[in-house]
Amino acid sequence: MSNEQRIRAFLFYSSVVIFCVGLPLLLSFAFGYKFDRRTFKFSRTGLLYLKTQPAGADVYLDKKLLDEKTPLTLNELLPGNYEVRVELHGYYPWSEDVGIEESKVTRLDKVILFPLRNNLKKVNKSSVSYFYLDRDKDTVYYLDGRERILYRCGLDGERRVPVGKLPPLGSQEVKYVFSQDRNKLLYFSSAQIGIVYLQQRRESVQEQAPFILDYPRSDLRDVFWHSDSFHLVIVTSRSVEVMEATPHSFPVVLAKLNRRDVQAYYDTGGDTLWFLDQEKTPEGETHGNLYKLELDSRTSPLYELIKIKNEE
Amino acid sequence: MKNKKNGIRRFLEIIPGVLSWGIILLLILLSAWKPVLCAAAIITFDFYWIIRTLYLTTLLIMAHHKLYRQRHRDWLADCRAAGNGRDWERIHHLVVFPVYKEGLDILRPSLASLRDCLYLKERMIVVVSFEERHPHSRETAAALEAEFKDCFLGYISTFHPDNLPNEARTKGANATWAAKKGKEFISARNIPYDDVVISCFDADTCVDPGYFGCLTYHFITNPRPHQASYQPIPVYNNNIWHAPSFARLVEISASFCQMIESMRIEKFVTFSSHSMSFKTLIKIDYWPLNMVSDDSVVYWKAFLFYNGHYRVVPLYITVSMDAAYGDSLWKTVRMQYRQKRRWAWGIENFPFLVTGFMNNRFISFSQKLRKSFQLLESHITWAVWAIIITLIAPLPILLGGSFFTQMPISYNLPRIAGILLNCTLASSLVWILLSRIILPPRPKDVKWFKNILMTAEWVIVPLIILILGSIPALDAQTRLMLGKYMEFYATEKKRPRSA
Repeated sequence: MSNEQRIRAFLFYSSVVIFCVGLPLLLSFAFGYKFDRRTFKFSRTGLLYLKTQPAGADVYLDKKLLDEKTPLTLNELLPGNYEVRVELHGYYPWSEDVGIEESKVTRLDKVILFPLRNNLKKVNKSSVSYFYLDRDKDTVYYLDGRERILYRCGLDGERRVPVGKLPPLGSQEVKYVFSQDRNKLLYFSSAQIGIVYLQQRRESVQEQAPFILDYPRSDLRDVFWHSDSFHLVIVTSRSVEVMEATPHSFPVVLAKLNRRDVQAYYDTGGDTLWFLDQEKTPEGETHGNLYKLELDSRTSPLYELIKIKNEE
Repeated sequence: MKNKKNGIRRFLEIIPGVLSWGIILLLILLSAWKPVLCAAAIITFDFYWIIRTLYLTTLLIMAHHKLYRQRHRDWLADCRAAGNGRDWERIHHLVVFPVYKEGLDILRPSLASLRDCLYLKERMIVVVSFEERHPHSRETAAALEAEFKDCFLGYISTFHPDNLPNEARTKGANATWAAKKGKEFISARNIPYDDVVISCFDADTCVDPGYFGCLTYHFITNPRPHQASYQPIPVYNNNIWHAPSFARLVEISASFCQMIESMRIEKFVTFSSHSMSFKTLIKIDYWPLNMVSDDSVVYWKAFLFYNGHYRVVPLYITVSMDAAYGDSLWKTVRMQYRQKRRWAWGIENFPFLVTGFMNNRFISFSQKLRKSFQLLESHITWAVWAIIITLIAPLPILLGGSFFTQMPISYNLPRIAGILLNCTLASSLVWILLSRIILPPRPKDVKWFKNILMTAEWVIVPLIILILGSIPALDAQTRLMLGKYMEFYATEKKRPRSA
């Protein structure tokens, strides 16, 4: 046997030995076993996975600082309870008694560390009575309740511009709703609906004056914008109606209601009004029903109805 | 009887594909149904693979050391010392070049390397065998004849006819035709076949100047010279500086694999350009006429003929060939893929070998079993290893579900795999270093900056592993399994003017 063959044989058999010895150790580690050198026995352990937001925090396990920072995985933990404490400079510490079970992973992956000083920023000093955040356009709208002027500004509060003035309603305003195209704002009380056309960034767009629609016959419960940003879907204590958002339009009654405190939800995506109402059976029983009214222009004769009404 | 033989052969053709696909599908199914078992299997395979890689890298270093140590050796002086005076001079070398589409730009340097080698030209007979079906073969032959006819004892241009009976369009058929033409020449001059060594070279093979000295030395010092093939180390240096990174890395890796194999003599099989006793070649009836992997089949034919007493002697001297590449990256990938698939088609040796063993009573059962297993194991591993490491390894985590994510092994699997595969970085560094050493000097038209590129390009190795690691081998085995037999695909050679 040449020297070269001897070296090769040595390498080969060494590799076989390393594989045969190393594989059981590697697999036992993978399955969460720990070799106890004192007892010469394998014991089953558990695993702790710790992830914090933000990452990079110090971790103390039973008051002992670990070398690794979050996120980390602690292997070979013998079953039992451990005190886990997480610290990060500038943040409140977090701690908890964590139970570790054998052959199981304990996940602490929703730990949020809160900063000692909150990032609180005053966006505006005016007497704001309502605001709306348009995340798509990184814009904040807010209403100065005293001057009744609606402003638009960036998310940082900078670049503030007035976009409309809201005429006051006769009674307490209930709700403010932006149209889908963000060009109009409606607000309403129990008997009036105010519509404001917002000032556009483009100068060419002609401005329209705000107006108020009186609704003396019944209590307004809710008002929604149709997805076309032109029609209003109105829920009163007596009926569900629809009308154009113009000063002299007439409402069309789509459904009569039996229940005065009707509860309604408008799904703008599908142009569907969901509402609860009561029904009395011939036997005299009262049922509370959930109704779905589709107002999608492709599936309902909404536009046709309005047209006919207007012509009349 | 013939039907039974065909049935057995067909069954043996199906085995490799079934095993490779079986392993892959089993692991995929286990990753969803028994993810813990699958993860354990993956860790076992990863561990096996890293140990194997480190072991083979050590063999590579040893082979490289031998190659480096012997590259300036005066082989003719060794021949003189070993061959009892002038005995070595009786050895004649018959060199055959089976040519397909290769033109003068490829063939001229190959023949020039023969002309310039440090050996007695009056002991060399060169047969350049063109395919008759190729339209420009006669002009090429005439040009080469004018240049090289008087350089050797014999120079024969021959044209292998198309569609001879029992022949497929393979390199082996052309090489056999060339060897028979050489035989006519040798017989006419009464040169004993015992004294002739035949070398079958790819058309782009440029030999090292000391090649025939080295070959003669090993032939005359071998106690059983006719019961051995002689395998040089193939390198792809002819155009390596001009080849794109992708092709270069694949070819360097192929050279390294051959160097590693040269250290594992019991598994060493002839590959590409090689040499052997002409007498033995005649006895075993030349190369196969209808098999794609003629270079390895000829070894198995001799192995069976000598009842297992046949081996491959590694020659630690290089023969340089062309790296295969195309005009675009896509063409290069395609060419490399086809070339690797052709190499992987060597799995057709398995049914050939097993049926050969079934008809041979003189080889021991243990040797039959060992050789069959070695051949099968190497091809199966080739077809599955990269798929397991890159594609199947993440599956238990993806498909294992919430039960698996509650198990420590779900966390430990990626960690262990990462640690183990990082160990391969150590071997990668060795490969990078060795790749620099086997490179030929930088041509003048190549900028020095390419030195940096050629080191940095190793980062794309994982991508190459994914594309060319296992898939060509799996493709070849699947074709064999389905009975869709491959035809010989000649890799197109491309050489820049300056190379």
